Amino acid sequence: MKAHKVVGLVLGAALVVSGCGAKGGGDGQQEIRFIWWGNDDRAKVTNEAVKLFESRNTGIKVSTSFQNFQNYFEKLSTEIAGGNAPDVIQMDYRYLNEYAGRNVLLDLSPYVGKEIRTADWNSGFIGSGKLGGKQVAMPLAQNATAIVYDPKLFDAAGVKPPRIGWSWADYKETSAKIQASTGGKIAGATDFGGTEDVFETWLRQRGKKLYADDGKLGYSKDDLKAFWQLSKDFRDGNATTPPELVTTLNAGAEQTPMGKKLSASEHTYDSLYGGYNTVRPGELALGPYPSDSKEVLGSYRKPSQLVSASSRTKHKDAAVKLIDFLLNDPDAGKILGANRGLPANLKIREAVAQNLSGANKVIFEYQKSVDAQLGDAPAAPPKGDGTIYKLMQRKHEEVVFGKKTIDQALEEFWRDAEEALK
Amino acid sequence: MVLAERVSPAPVKSVAEGAPPRRPKNSQGVAYLFLGPWLLGAIGLTVAPMVVSLYLSFTDYDLFNSPQWVGFDNYAKLFGDDPRYLDSVVVTLKYVVWSVPLKLVLALAVALLLNSLRGKGQAFFRSAFYAPSLLGASVGLALAWRAIFDTWVDTPDYALITIVLLSAWQFGAPMVIFLAGLQQIPRDLFDAAAVDGAGWWRRLWSITLPMLSPVLFFNLVLETIHAFQAFTQAFVVSGGRGGPADSTLFYTLYLYERGFTEFRMGYASAMAWVLLVAIAVITAVLFRTSRYWVFYGDER
Repeated sequence: MKAHKVVGLVLGAALVVSGCGAKGGGDGQQEIRFIWWGNDDRAKVTNEAVKLFESRNTGIKVSTSFQNFQNYFEKLSTEIAGGNAPDVIQMDYRYLNEYAGRNVLLDLSPYVGKEIRTADWNSGFIGSGKLGGKQVAMPLAQNATAIVYDPKLFDAAGVKPPRIGWSWADYKETSAKIQASTGGKIAGATDFGGTEDVFETWLRQRGKKLYADDGKLGYSKDDLKAFWQLSKDFRDGNATTPPELVTTLNAGAEQTPMGKKLSASEHTYDSLYGGYNTVRPGELALGPYPSDSKEVLGSYRKPSQLVSASSRTKHKDAAVKLIDFLLNDPDAGKILGANRGLPANLKIREAVAQNLSGANKVIFEYQKSVDAQLGDAPAAPPKGDGTIYKLMQRKHEEVVFGKKTIDQALEEFWRDAEEALK
Repeated sequence: MVLAERVSPAPVKSVAEGAPPRRPKNSQGVAYLFLGPWLLGAIGLTVAPMVVSLYLSFTDYDLFNSPQWVGFDNYAKLFGDDPRYLDSVVVTLKYVVWSVPLKLVLALAVALLLNSLRGKGQAFFRSAFYAPSLLGASVGLALAWRAIFDTWVDTPDYALITIVLLSAWQFGAPMVIFLAGLQQIPRDLFDAAAVDGAGWWRRLWSITLPMLSPVLFFNLVLETIHAFQAFTQAFVVSGGRGGPADSTLFYTLYLYERGFTEFRMGYASAMAWVLLVAIAVITAVLFRTSRYWVFYGDER
């Protein structure tokens, strides 16, 4: 019938139009998309580096975008599922298995040591981007857990700042004193009980790890119970932030208790210092975690971020070129500095270290001060860790708000965590 | 005066409508041509995805790999083995039960107020009260709300209340519909009642509400369906997590989390279908009850 013809015609026209749109410039110009998480100061340096890349590779155009960490992976999964994967993807260690296990990341093995230069790299560190023999990502930079603190408040309370060798009991006492000295207006420490990164560091101090080699949970219920009890001791000892502030973590430096000047010390990664420094310029310092073990600090050389290419990219060479540029180009290194942590390329790291200022300087000096204590990175967490990360936060919240006892929350955590790892 | 104006245009029309006009033969084709864009959208963007999601709800689809058939597993797990799912149902029901009546009462109250203004700046106030609804789905507004109710939002006992308030504040759409409904009520009913000595409450109860009941019903159904699907406010206010302590874990938010952050899209699809059926059932129940309280003007 005629109606069918009309519908067909309209459909056909729509397909033609959308087909044209997708193609874009066909004159040898390659367009790739690069996305990352971060904040404005990271965007500034990253875009500057990308511009330099474009000016050196006139055939390649790079469009970029960024999100904060919270929303980044939701957006990424949606885009990939929608067949609209970015070509170059900043990856998190925690999500590496999640994505690589689903075959969405390009195996970079054929390029490593060739198009992606690795002569100036620590070979162990390259391995952190490897899963099951495939190089699914390249580490962009190195970071480590740290305590960011406000030296003025420490001074005012007459307590010593974070230092190698201080214990969790010291930390609690110090925090309580600071909190008392501000009349309770500013907490001594940000509540850490819901943060898996802190838990991991604490576990390592006790010779355990987050995940066993078989990908199951590497700790017992008693471990988590003790950790939550520690956080509760801080609360009971008036040494930490009130419940309403536990939900503000992970949002970006300006929204954390430290960014809002409601806490004197906060668990973080040194690579995030730049964000804190933007909110409170020149006011804050970095120090090591407390540890009850004399030998083990628990922090390790973590790939702060990694960079991957999509397995579905149409411009493999351009994507690989951009990855190599970000990792190994001296000028790019100069621009990026320590914004993502210590550069993975050791020569660039050295060059950056020669000429340090501002946030970069604080980050480098911190890593230097703890370098001897840093361990090697554990294997990338298994699929499901992203879920467990949030689960820990949520269950801890329920404890903090008095909705559940530690034991109840623990049982529920355990059930859901095992489910997430299935 | 008002009545006279309304009556006058009517006779003009009937002349043209006397005999059914002869249609050109291919008018159906033209109709489809004009329907085309809508049909494309309806089929491509609504019907097809719905059918696909129904299929996916019986699979273990994870967004990236091809789905495997798992039968009713997802549905069984929803009701048998997912306490958090039941939590999200409770949160959503609470939200619907609080926000819908509150919003409708506010909308009706403001509509009554504006209706009594008649010409004295009514247009201005109508727009002013409607403004928040225009911005309703906007992220910016929810962010502002988050900032205003900073501590409330971060406390489990109050977080849901702030979202209910945010929703109630956006009463513009039902208000405008109420206002239109109010202006349809024949004035002579009020005049007659006033002559008989009926006070304001009496007129509200015996004339306004019965005459308005079809509009009220319409708004109730619409807002209920809407409330079940609430997402944006909860997502923004809770930073996408349904927190603190799951106190704002709306159904849709949990669905989103399952689908897009845990990659359990098959499971999320099952959730979506349960929600669809639940909304359909509740709407059907509302329609059933309507025969007892909705009064259409032509009934005796």
